[in-house]
Amino acid sequence: MAKRDIPEINAGSMADIAFLLLIFFLVTTTMDKDTAYVRQIPKKLDNPPETPPIEDRNICEIRANSQNALLFRNEELEDPNEISEKILEFYRMNEVLTESQTEARIQQSSYEGYNYPFYSFITLKGIEDAIEKEYKLAEEAEAVDNYDIADFHYKSVDDWKKKQKALQTLGINELKEIHPQAHIRVVVQQRTEYKLFAKIQSEIEEAIYELRDDAAKKYFVESYGVMKTRRAMDKADEQGDQPKLDVLKVLYPDRIIEVRPKK
Amino acid sequence: MSKFRKEEKKGAPGVNTSSLPDIVFMLLFFFMVATTTKESDPTVKVERPEGVRATDLTPYKQRSEIDFLYLGKPSNPARVDDFEMGYAMFLDNVAQPQPGDLYTANMISRWKKDKYESKPPRMVEPIENVITCVKADKGAPSILIFDIRDQLQSIDALTVAYAVSDKGAY
Repeated sequence: MAKRDIPEINAGSMADIAFLLLIFFLVTTTMDKDTAYVRQIPKKLDNPPETPPIEDRNICEIRANSQNALLFRNEELEDPNEISEKILEFYRMNEVLTESQTEARIQQSSYEGYNYPFYSFITLKGIEDAIEKEYKLAEEAEAVDNYDIADFHYKSVDDWKKKQKALQTLGINELKEIHPQAHIRVVVQQRTEYKLFAKIQSEIEEAIYELRDDAAKKYFVESYGVMKTRRAMDKADEQGDQPKLDVLKVLYPDRIIEVRPKK
Repeated sequence: MSKFRKEEKKGAPGVNTSSLPDIVFMLLFFFMVATTTKESDPTVKVERPEGVRATDLTPYKQRSEIDFLYLGKPSNPARVDDFEMGYAMFLDNVAQPQPGDLYTANMISRWKKDKYESKPPRMVEPIENVITCVKADKGAPSILIFDIRDQLQSIDALTVAYAVSDKGAY
């Protein structure tokens, strides 16, 4: 039999098929990324333990009213862009002090950083003692069936363990830690626009980012943003970023309290 | 007899289109890689505020560890008056949607629970780690954000994300 040419397949409609697919993807997908500020909501407790009084110096309060005017630590603020610098000041004012300086200045009301949180110096030994103490308190609370209080103490055990871990990761013996009660408090009113609320969150994030980024570059020679993104992509944490991020979180905690506006 | 042929009437030669599919496929692949799927088309108008240093939620989306909630004025102007302060919520993938898909805050805990329970157990993170992303309009009053937070708190869904459009590093 004579050899026959196999007829070629007509590929003229290939372009049409590809266009169809292209248009389908154009319609069903979006270009813009979803970006957001992730925050933790505190757990609801039935019998919350009494909170010890918090000194004013440890509160970094940002207020916004219904007219969208701002108050930062009881001072009026015209430009919301200044918030991040002020938060940085809140964290860094007393960070440079040594242990003896801290002890001297904490009493001295004429000192310019008197109204800012002080740093404490904790050692591995101190952490071990604290863990033991919290365990004891938790067990005592459990003995009288007060589980909320027990949980509270178990949580502080976890906190101390995080600090212990951080010291171990860094390979040092002493941790300089901002006052454990130091926090940022966002107080808004009912009609404060979300735009301003988001702006405050943005400024807080910017300040925390800068603090942690500096520390990341100092201790791990890497940018905080890079580590954070890599951790989010890598669910199993094969790159070992989580311990490092935990260290940064211990060094510069982002304790943010968002206060519900009154009715 | 002439050496020059008379010019024949000729049409313009056809353009070779055999590489057109290649070009279109290239475009197609570009869009497949560079974009993400829309989760749903909300029936409220949301104009996101701006912010810097926001967390990129794409990895959580790819793992479906996130639920989206939109807060804005209803697109249908006739319904604006039905809601407190004129703002309504749109929830993604509700099991039995209401007309217009508009809700108030008190629906959130049920929606969140339903979604959480419908997931296959092997994928389930503890509920406090499943992110609820609130995409609120610039003008939304803050009290509604706190209503949402209260609802989430009541079912121990303790991670919330406030959506902004990232300006990037200034």
